[in-house]
This record gives sequence, C-alpha cells and structure tokens, in this order.
Amino acid sequence: MAEGTTYATPYDEPGHENDLKRSITGRLLFFYTLGDVLGSGIYVLIGAVAGAVGGAFWIAFGVGVAIAVITAMAYAELVTKYPQAAGAALYVNKAFGNKFLTFLITVCFLSSSFAAAGALSSGFASYFLEVWEFAPALVISLVFVLILTIINFIGITESVVINMLMTFAEVSGLIIVTIIAIWYVAEGNADFGTLTDFSNAEGHPILAIISGVALAFFAMTGFENTANVAEETIDPQRSFPRALIGGIATAGVIYVVVAIAAALTVDTETLAGSEASLLEVIKADIIPVPVDAMVILFAIIAMIAITNTTLVAVVTQPRILYGMAKEDVVPGVFSKIHSSRRSPWFGLIFSGLVVAALLTIGSQIDLAAGETLIDRLATVTVVFLLFIYALVIVSCLKLRGHDEAEGNYRASTPLLVVGLVGNLVLLGYVVYDDPSSLYWCAGLVALGVVLFLVEYLFGKRTRPASAERGDPEVGRGA
Amino acid sequence: MHVIVATDGSKQSLAAARHLKSFADPTKITEVSVIAVIRPLAAVSFADELSTVDQRKAHTDAGSFRAAAENAVDVVAAEFDGWGPKVHRKVRGGSPANEIIKAAKQLSAGLVVVAAGGRGISDVVLVGSTAQRVQHYAPCPVLVVRPAPRRTASKAGRS
Repeated sequence: MAEGTTYATPYDEPGHENDLKRSITGRLLFFYTLGDVLGSGIYVLIGAVAGAVGGAFWIAFGVGVAIAVITAMAYAELVTKYPQAAGAALYVNKAFGNKFLTFLITVCFLSSSFAAAGALSSGFASYFLEVWEFAPALVISLVFVLILTIINFIGITESVVINMLMTFAEVSGLIIVTIIAIWYVAEGNADFGTLTDFSNAEGHPILAIISGVALAFFAMTGFENTANVAEETIDPQRSFPRALIGGIATAGVIYVVVAIAAALTVDTETLAGSEASLLEVIKADIIPVPVDAMVILFAIIAMIAITNTTLVAVVTQPRILYGMAKEDVVPGVFSKIHSSRRSPWFGLIFSGLVVAALLTIGSQIDLAAGETLIDRLATVTVVFLLFIYALVIVSCLKLRGHDEAEGNYRASTPLLVVGLVGNLVLLGYVVYDDPSSLYWCAGLVALGVVLFLVEYLFGKRTRPASAERGDPEVGRGA
Repeated sequence: MHVIVATDGSKQSLAAARHLKSFADPTKITEVSVIAVIRPLAAVSFADELSTVDQRKAHTDAGSFRAAAENAVDVVAAEFDGWGPKVHRKVRGGSPANEIIKAAKQLSAGLVVVAAGGRGISDVVLVGSTAQRVQHYAPCPVLVVRPAPRRTASKAGRS
C-alpha cells in the first residue's frame, strides 16, 4: 500500500485553482477500512457464530468475508464512478431514479447504523464488565453512547491518525489470540478435529453454515462507511478500490485465523456461552503470562476496537440525517449546524437518543425472550445491510455503460452475480430463521417514515426559514 | 502582501471577510486567497450557510461536501471582486487549523483572517476552536473577527 500518496488530484475544476488539497491517502484509507471492519464483529459476535455452527465456525467467517469482498467490489466500482457524495442511496437513485426507493434505502442505511451502534454498545459493555463490574450493562452502554455523541459533537477532524493507531491496537489483540493458539498447537494439545465439527448445528451442516454466515456478516459491516470519505481521497480511481477491497480481504484473513485459533483453544460451548467470547481464549491460561493482567489488557484492546467502529457509525447517522434534511425529506432542524463547532447538534442528539432507546427497549424485552441484546441488534443490522448490499450490487450492474470514464475500476460481472445471490440467500435465511427481527426493522423504518411525515405536513414552516439561512443578504437586511 | 481569508461556510466568516475589506488598503494587498477546509471524518464535513439555493451546484443537496465548500468559497471570494487584489479560491481537506496554517506558510501570507467562532458556553468548556489554534501557530499576524453584538451587526458588516 506504499503508493497512493503522491498523485495529483484529477478532479480540479476550471473555476478553482490547481491545488484542491485532498487529505486522505490510500494507506490511511486502507487502515480506516480495516479498523472499521475489524472492530465490529469478531470481538462482539464470535461466540454467537460458534454457537450456531460448532467448531467449524471459521468457515462461516470465510464465506461471510467472500460475500463482503464481492459487495465491496460493487462499492468500489460505484465510488470511482461517483466519488462526490458517495453512498448506497445515491447509487440506487442513479440506477433507479425512484424517489420512494431512494428514501427507503436511506432509511434502511440509517436504521442499520442505529442497530449496529446498539449492538456494538452492548458488546462494549460486556467487555467493560469483565474488568470493572460496578454498574449494570445497560447503564454502561448508555454512558458509552453519550460519550461518543459528545466526542462527535466536538468534532473528530484529526482522527485519521488516531484511527490508524486504534487499528494497530485492534490487530494486536487478534495477534495475541493467534499467538496463544500457536503456543497451544506447539504444545501438542490441539485437537484439529474441532475444525470440522458441526456439533451445534440444528439440521444440515450447510444450514448451520448459512446461519453462521448471517451472524458473521455483522463482522463485515462498517466498510460501507468508507464511502463517506471518498470525496477527500487522493486519486480515488486507484487508491479507493485497493484500500477498500484490500482492507476487507485483510480483515477476512485475520477473522478466519482468529476463528480457527479460538476454536482450537476453547471449546465452542464456552465460546457460545460468553458475552465477551474472545476473552475466554485469554482466560484459558495457556501461555505463561499472568492471566489477570492479560485479561485486563485484552479487554481494553477489545473496547478500543469496538469504540473505533461505533464512532464511525455514530458519525454516519447525523450525516445521513443532515443530507435528508437538505433534501427536505426529514425536518429541517436536522440540518442545523452549531455555530462554533460546526456539528449537526440536533441530528447528533436524536441519533444518540434512538440508540439509547434501542438499548433500553431491548434490555426489557430480552429479559423475557432469553436472547442476548447483541444477537438481536446484530441480526437487525444484518437484515438491513443485506438488503442494501443486494440493491447496491443490482445498481452497479444496472449502471454499467453509464458515466463510465477512463481508468474506472470495474468489478467482475460473474462475481457480482455470485455476490448478489449470496446476499439474497442470507437475507432469505435470516428472515425465515428469525422473523421477529422484522418487527425491529419495521419499527426503525417507521421512525424514518414518521420523520418524513412531520416534514411533509409541517415542512412548509421550515422552508422559508431555510431559504433565509441560505441567503446572507436577506439575513443581514441589506 | 498575500492575505488568507478562511471560511467555514458560516455567516461569521463572511462578516470577517467584509471586515477586512472595511478597513484594509487594497493597494497594499497583492493577493487574497479564500480558503475552505473540509473535515472528512466529521459528521458534517462542510456546511455551506452562505450561498443561496440558486448559487448552489448540483451536487450540494446530494451531500457533496466539496461542492458545499466550493460554494462557500465562491460567495466569500465574490466579496473581493473588483476590490483590487488578485483573488484565489482554494479548497483543502483535513484539520481546519492545520490546513490554514500550512496554507499560510506555503503562500508566505502576510495576514490570516478568521472568524472567531461561537461565543457560547461550548467554546469555554470544550477545547481548541480553529481560531484559537490559528492564532497560536500561524507564521504571520492573524485577524480574528469576533461576532458583533446584535444591535450593531449591520455596522460591522459593511462600510
């Protein structure tokens, strides 16, 4: 990834000077993607995936990665075609030109982001409780959301570098797990038979894999947020596809290795039974290092990893709402910018409240249902994302032959078809297997519809105000 | 002298540009560079509150922050049309304070003009506004234009 740092910017417009400085190099983008993807799933969900499949759950991660990489190819192709204002909603709009569908996909993306932030916050709380047990999980996850919202309000301008440091921390945690497994294997204790074990599967192994993949897919989420920074990437034509696909593929290799490591060292029942599953590998006390110190170190690494990904989700939510307010599909207050911090303060508060509501409602319901909040919210995220990813791939195929320029990245068509089928099979399975997740999805989409209706019915009051805001001459009474 | 006028898309930054024009001698200023900085990782990378709906480029509403930044730069640059000095327009990406300081160094600027930002409690409680950092680290004099109290706002705006 050494290249990508010194290219000239190809998008200079004649009205502007030749030094439209973009700030994100290919290398930073690679780490941004890797950090985004790595944090989400493996620390939070590995236990649930192990529970669904058995010792062979690394296959689920492998298949999940393969589908995610193909989806990323579609994203990469579309981003290089439309580097300004990249995002699933824009692609779908370009491909179909249907306002309702565009609105729906925007709301789905927003909802998936809410659900993901909720799942990640619960995951954070699980690891936090392993180290300092002084408050209920719900309280910790709510405080976590509050702190991220405040950080976001202050602004995270400089965090490209911090993001890179966080990514290194995340990788180091996974290296620790791998080293433990290698040590275990070297001592001759490992039973490689577990790697082909489907003992937890209910029914045919293939079905078990699919259910595992559906959960593991949550671990791949986050890469679509990379499109946020497409506009500021140096030479996006070349660096974006490499960074995006390279980042996910790297994350995928790490996932499979870590999954194998976890399967070899800890039996799947223990993994499945723990909310902070990777910590079980440390607790197995295999390497000759004090286990207490290692547990604390690893829990902190896991929390950093989860924070990194959640932060990106929390940034994305008010951004989407801001864009929607600009287009007059949600109330104009979402485009209000704080005068000195330049943050969309209302959107931030609103997003924080929605995530907090998901966590609170979820913790009440799950007490009855006996299922963990993380699994539930992760499933909801996956349902939304699979729907979005499938539509993005269709949009990519549909937009072939439009707006193509020299040097555009072009994904392989047969692979895209495979990816599309993969996404749809998973979507079908998740909905069939867990229809109750659809209630949550419906609730989140309904929230978006309510916002639209508020704008539709009362929007006329805000529009003249926004026209004034856009025109400084009017505002100054000149 | 080369003067850098920074805009974050706020009305205050436009007022700062007008303030410069109200007292500075255009014959002593050779060039004016209007600079906007996009913060790629912030929730809203750039909010353009200056240009009218008609002035906006097609991509603005679809979420192109670069187009929003270019719009804001155009509005501020238009203030200096016919004033005398040659006007440059620049959009950069990164941390606003860092990019403004870097630009001041690269252009050997003689003055940087920034708006002070808000007056609210958040600036007291929370760290590092852009104007503060530019004041501290700029290689040249810095004009920080404070928002005028409401009563005299029209006086501060134009001369």
